[in-house]
Amino acid sequence: MSTAAAEIEDGLGTLAGTGKLLRFQARRTRVFLIGWFAGLAGGTWMIAAAFPGLYPTAADRAQYATTVDTPAMRSMTGPVEYIEAYADSTAAMLAHNMLLWTGALTAVMFALLVTRVTRADEETSRLEVIRSLPVGRRADLAAAMLLAVIASLVLGLLLALTVLGVPGADLEGALLYGLAHAAIGIVFAALTAVAAQIAGFGSTATGMAFGVIGLAALMSGVGSAQESGAIWASPIGWSQETFVFTAGQRWWPLAVSAGAAALLAWLAFSLVTRRDFGQGMMPARAGRAHAGGGLRSVGSLTLRLNRAVLWSGVVTMLLLGAAYGSVVGSADDMLETLSDTQRQVLDQGGASIEQNFAATISALDGLFASIFGLLVVGRARREETGGRGELLAAGPVPRSGWPGSYLPTALATVTLAVAVGGLFLAITGSASTGDGAFFGELLGASLLQLPAAWALTAFAFAAYAWLPRAGWLRWLAWVYAFVVSYFGQLLDMPAWSRALSPFDHLARYPAEDVEWLPVVLLTLVAGVFAVLGYAGARRRDLHFS
Amino acid sequence: MNAVIRTENLVKRFGHVTALDHLNLEVAQGETHGFLGPNGAGKSTTIRVLLGMLRSDEGRAELFGADPWKDAAELHRRLAYVPGDVALWPGLTGGETIDLLGRLRGGIDKRKRDELLERFDLDPRKKGRSYSKGNRQKVALVAAFAADVDLLLLDEPTSGLDPLMGAVFNECVREASAQGRTVLLSSHIMSEVEALCERVSIIRKGVIAETGTLADMRHFSRSRLRATLKNPVRGLGDHDGVHDLKTDGLDIDCNVDAAALDDVLAQLAVAGVAALTCEPPSLEQIFMRFYGDELAASGVQEENGK
Repeated sequence: MSTAAAEIEDGLGTLAGTGKLLRFQARRTRVFLIGWFAGLAGGTWMIAAAFPGLYPTAADRAQYATTVDTPAMRSMTGPVEYIEAYADSTAAMLAHNMLLWTGALTAVMFALLVTRVTRADEETSRLEVIRSLPVGRRADLAAAMLLAVIASLVLGLLLALTVLGVPGADLEGALLYGLAHAAIGIVFAALTAVAAQIAGFGSTATGMAFGVIGLAALMSGVGSAQESGAIWASPIGWSQETFVFTAGQRWWPLAVSAGAAALLAWLAFSLVTRRDFGQGMMPARAGRAHAGGGLRSVGSLTLRLNRAVLWSGVVTMLLLGAAYGSVVGSADDMLETLSDTQRQVLDQGGASIEQNFAATISALDGLFASIFGLLVVGRARREETGGRGELLAAGPVPRSGWPGSYLPTALATVTLAVAVGGLFLAITGSASTGDGAFFGELLGASLLQLPAAWALTAFAFAAYAWLPRAGWLRWLAWVYAFVVSYFGQLLDMPAWSRALSPFDHLARYPAEDVEWLPVVLLTLVAGVFAVLGYAGARRRDLHFS
Repeated sequence: MNAVIRTENLVKRFGHVTALDHLNLEVAQGETHGFLGPNGAGKSTTIRVLLGMLRSDEGRAELFGADPWKDAAELHRRLAYVPGDVALWPGLTGGETIDLLGRLRGGIDKRKRDELLERFDLDPRKKGRSYSKGNRQKVALVAAFAADVDLLLLDEPTSGLDPLMGAVFNECVREASAQGRTVLLSSHIMSEVEALCERVSIIRKGVIAETGTLADMRHFSRSRLRATLKNPVRGLGDHDGVHDLKTDGLDIDCNVDAAALDDVLAQLAVAGVAALTCEPPSLEQIFMRFYGDELAASGVQEENGK
């Protein structure tokens, strides 16, 4: 009797060949894995190494704790329990500032990893070759999940080693810190595995997973800001609730992660055999035999192809704006409970605490809305490598139309996302403070971010036009701006290095008066990158597979 | 001769790989030109240079007498292209894709579109993601044949079609040709090229190895000759123009150069002929001759005339 037949008798038929596939998938994703390991552990290491020097004494940390202990700052870091431990433990301060973001990035990493070895392979018929071998129907999913679990644990171990040297970190705490990340990785790997069964194809699965990651970050932020149970709605929040490195450190929230991951994995495994190969759970419907009146130019096609990105941008920014706006009012309540020193730190330049809050939040509106512009630009590259652009490039379409139409589409997406985010921030913000005049200030503060968001988007397009293969380059400027926005003050980055982020040049309206010169200059910078981008798109070869 | 396509010493490199190495190709107005070569010989690269998607490193390329890189968008009004591997937008139906491509060109002949959909037996209501390879190919073919253009660039257009659809395709190419359209048909399906093309260019390793009419190529090639003789013939194998001679009693089987046919037939006539067949070489055999050394290198015997 062959081994395969024996396995079927053991009820393992659908898992046959999992071990071999695991080795194969690990080999295929090793560059991806090593890159992400290096990025996450390296980034953590750099910040961990800088911390003791920046905040050497308990007094330094206690002082920083007062600036962080506002709803706005908590929504961008984590629960208040960590802040209370700042003075005792540098490691607690590190965990408080890092966990939400490295956790979200870990989630992104595992969403990408799982789609890459499941659905994306199925689409390109690479998996078809594998399924025709003597392997079980569930083997590729099992191998993908095993790979994700192993990679999560490796990442957790690396992060544990990374933070072990930070003052206030003991071995148990470091392990918990690492496993808190591993837990996020495993939960989102399982979640993406479910999305990969439901979705019609790979990019939809990634999109669904990213949506959940965004929601998880949002719920964590809302929960931390309001000190409410909303944080328990977020898988990232479960890891934050371990209160790692504080006196109240606890392991049991990771059991919630483990339970959720097991449930999701079970769901994915029961779905995988219920659907047809190459199809999702959502059935295909017959479409229109003729193109509608709206579909008559490359521009309208580009807009249609990016509709999903546009809508997810609008919805995300709507939720983000509404969530942040609703906590503006609580800033006011908090003011009464503050000590004089805290008031001093917060009342910078005579602006009110709400105005400072509004300035900080609206800068984030611009930063997050830019993501959707960058996604549109990335789509241009996918149209190219996927070969779909070839039919357009062979038509009477100049390069300014294809791939050129992706820049205006990206800019429109960014603009709409910023505006919607600002609008809902203004609506809920003015409602929560009961101050109608605040509506204009909040909306204006958000719209003020537009030139910086345009500059990032145009930079990404220029990077795509000149160095299309370097996908990381398109995100470089955005990641840098993100680091400056979140860690610039914490890490005490020098002024010149902060000035490389476009958002750094804009006035902190409404806490400060609007300066128009940076607005004009940033718009010009965006224009220069756009011109560069079009020049690049005209002169390079198109890479159709 | 009025050339629609002309390249002179065209060179295209990708890094250290030279894909096109001084390629000279000429396609006259109104002709259906076969572009033959194995995978990786440079057929698609040539067509993409002609479409202005790739910029040549050296030499010249001309389309309707203009520069395909600089005037790409203008020139594309006059041509339609079918790629070898058609990728469609997963969320757009076949019908929407055909209409969009037509509208980019300034409008589509509805009657012709529907007629072609019928002939190719294509359901235009399906989404791009659910079409098979052959059906994706059909979407591009319908869009191309429905377009009112002067030139059709077809890059291995039938690679996913079944024989029935292959016949419909051949019909469509003949109709396009009858309407005075120029066709460049890249292929490695010999019967298709033999049935459709007046002139053929054979490309190998980025250079045109041979170009001409099929009749010319046959003329310069060997015919297969089989005969049953009345008396044994001697000295046939010594003749320079006779190859792969096999004798089995009075039956002979050999390949004969076109120039040697006179001599050989005279020799056979002396011996007396009971039966005789003489076949011109197929395009496949001509093609194999140009790639004989590559085949030999990969362990395949040269099979010319077999």
